[in-house]
Amino acid sequence: MASAYNPIYTDVPEKDVFALHFLQTLSNLRTQNSFSSPDNKTSDRVKKIKKAAYVSMARAAGGANRLWSRSLLHQAAKRNNKNVRFLRRKRRVTWLMRRRSNRGDPIEDVAAERLRNLVPGGGGMETSKLMEETAHYIKCLSMQVKVMQCLVDGLSPK
Amino acid sequence: MSNRRSRQSSSALRISDDQMIDLVSKLRVLLPEIRERRRSDKVSASKVLQETCNYIRKLHREVYNLSDRLSQLLDSVDEDSQEAAVIRSLLM
Repeated sequence: MASAYNPIYTDVPEKDVFALHFLQTLSNLRTQNSFSSPDNKTSDRVKKIKKAAYVSMARAAGGANRLWSRSLLHQAAKRNNKNVRFLRRKRRVTWLMRRRSNRGDPIEDVAAERLRNLVPGGGGMETSKLMEETAHYIKCLSMQVKVMQCLVDGLSPK
Repeated sequence: MSNRRSRQSSSALRISDDQMIDLVSKLRVLLPEIRERRRSDKVSASKVLQETCNYIRKLHREVYNLSDRLSQLLDSVDEDSQEAAVIRSLLM
C-alpha cells in the first residue's frame, strides 16, 4: 500500500551561501560601466540591486531545483533577452486547476489564489505543491533580508 | 499500488491531513504574527494563508527598502575610508 504521507522538504542553505551569491552578483553589477556612471538614475540603480538580490537568492536556494527559483530566473533572463537555458515548464495541470476551482472552501481558494500571485511560478502548481514552495520561498526570502541587513549595517557610518 | 491519476486528482483537491498539519506547523513557526498572538493549535487554514500573504508582501517591501539603502551606501562611500576597504575586500 503506497504511503500517502510525503514529508515536505524545506531546508534552505546556510546564510553564507546567500551572502556569497549576493556579493558576487553585486560585484558583477559594479564592474559594469553603466552602473557607476553619473548619468545612471538612482531608481535604476535601486532596481538593479533589487534584481540582483532576487536572482542571487534564487541561485543560492538551488537554481533549477525549485519551481519558484526556476521561474524567477526564467523571468529575469527573459527581461535581459538572454538565452533562456531553462526549459519552459509545460502547463499540464490546467485540467486540475479547473477542477480545483469548483470545489473546496471558497475562502481558502481566494487566499490560495492570492498566494499564487505572490510566489513566483505559483500559477501552475497544485495546492499542495504551492504550500511546499511557499514555505521554502519564505525561508529564503528571510535569509536574503538578513544578509542585506548585515551588509547595510556593516556599511553604515558608525 | 495506487492509481496515478487518482493520486493526482486527490492531491489537487485537498492536501492530505498529514501534509496540512505539517505545513501549518511549519508556517506557524515561520510567521511571527501567529506565533506571538495565539497559543492554541486551532488556527484556521485560511488565516494561515492570509498571514503568509502578508508576510511575503512585508518581506518584498524589506528587500526593496534595503536595496534602496544599499544603493545610497554604495554610492556615498569615500574612496579612502574604512568602509571602502571593506567593500573592496568583499567585492573584489
